[in-house]
Amino acid sequence: MLTYRFDWSIITSGQYFDWLVSGLFTTLKLSAVSIVFAFLLGLLIAVMRMAHSKPVRWFALAYLEFFRNTPLLVQIFFWYFGSYKILPTVINDWLNKTGFEFAAAAIALTIYTSAFIAEDIRSGVLSIPKEQMEAARSAGFSYLRSMQYIILPQAIRITIPPLVNQFLNVAKNSSLAMTIGVMEMTYQARQVESYTFKGFEAFTAATVVYLALSIVITSLVNLYNEKVLNVHKAA
Amino acid sequence: MKKLVTLFMVMALTTITAKAALAGDTLAEAKKKGVLVVGCKDSLPPFGYIDEKTRQIVGYDIDFVNAIAKKMGVKVELKPVTSASRMPQLQEGHIDIIAATMTKNAERAKVIDFSHTYFFTGQKFITKKGSVKSLKDLEGKRIGTAKGSTSEQNVKKALPTATVLSFDDYPQALLALEQGKVQAVTTDESILIGILDKAPDKSKFEIPNFQISDEPYGLGMRKGDTNLVNFVNKTILEMEKSGEAAKIFDKWFGKYHLHRSFKITADK
Repeated sequence: MLTYRFDWSIITSGQYFDWLVSGLFTTLKLSAVSIVFAFLLGLLIAVMRMAHSKPVRWFALAYLEFFRNTPLLVQIFFWYFGSYKILPTVINDWLNKTGFEFAAAAIALTIYTSAFIAEDIRSGVLSIPKEQMEAARSAGFSYLRSMQYIILPQAIRITIPPLVNQFLNVAKNSSLAMTIGVMEMTYQARQVESYTFKGFEAFTAATVVYLALSIVITSLVNLYNEKVLNVHKAA
Repeated sequence: MKKLVTLFMVMALTTITAKAALAGDTLAEAKKKGVLVVGCKDSLPPFGYIDEKTRQIVGYDIDFVNAIAKKMGVKVELKPVTSASRMPQLQEGHIDIIAATMTKNAERAKVIDFSHTYFFTGQKFITKKGSVKSLKDLEGKRIGTAKGSTSEQNVKKALPTATVLSFDDYPQALLALEQGKVQAVTTDESILIGILDKAPDKSKFEIPNFQISDEPYGLGMRKGDTNLVNFVNKTILEMEKSGEAAKIFDKWFGKYHLHRSFKITADK
């Protein structure tokens, strides 16, 4: 005897469908913003981590260890609630009026992910023989220019598979933003559940969306890999 | 691939049949096992919260289930739940009964069975002192509450222009109010006074005197679990008659000077 009756109609049209769609767009926006900034920031930290100046290296190391080794949820709470104590009142008032939830979640996701991306990029760079750097330096390139023109283009290519993992993590980790009231996909699915008690349907929809999102990200990066970087899939 | 699909189907089927088996006679089951598993709040004074000294969950809700379990002759096992998780937990058989400030309403009653009303309150707001005089002052403002609660649905109806922010639980909502991230926190008055009492800076806040809904609380049980429902109803009616129910009310709400404006009676 079935005690649960499936009713897909509630999530395929009407109000609840609209909620889920708006949740999807928030998830997409949050993930996209965080992926772009996390990549740029991760690149910067990776370069700093390998710099010659000791303080710069130490700063990068401290940053990496701190943000890689604390839970994302704690970091989200830190940016959302903790920043209040540090920031001046004027900024707090402005943030409160405009709504700080989305920004706090994006900052937390960006910084958290950038630490992982930095380590991925560093491992890519380390895989490039160090003679290349030496050759570049002796050819007159500065450290940063050698990185920019010679080392990073090769390293990024090697780094792409682990980077894809990080991008997928961002998309899925963005669901934690619901703890501070960002109305993303999981938040809306839960909302639908608490209004209709149709949790199975709502969360199935959310699962399908996350799965589709992940597949799209993977395919896009693979496409870039093949078409732009001319890397062909290993047989 | 085919194997995977079959595996999933088998898994789905087993969960479904397991569930069906659970909608049996919880009263007899609990008596046999000697334990009643209760879903309760653990951060919501004075209904269910962790006592600082004993590190045990105590409160109004807890005293009621303790009395019921005593009558049954079984022990109570408390499991903390949230507003959003309590109904699925009950349906999946992780808990036998919900005693977690749960408002009785028609939609919920379609899915689970409720006892008679054992507590009665109304939904109000906590705001910074002097900032809100009437409901109108909250139009277009940002209002905090907890996910999966009726409070969330009521406030959306009462204030369609307001932005409702749902947090995981009330302590976070209050923190957001303290920091000005929301202009009010809304839920049942009885919960608000408990939150306010625990707030570090009580004098800065107030509960303005207007309410947006009636909130009768019931103990939640699985749909069709008639023996347990009848037993619980009988017990709480007896508690009203003997004065025990009023005593529990005074124990938890006396210090807030809250007047007991209701009596436990059989639902019509």
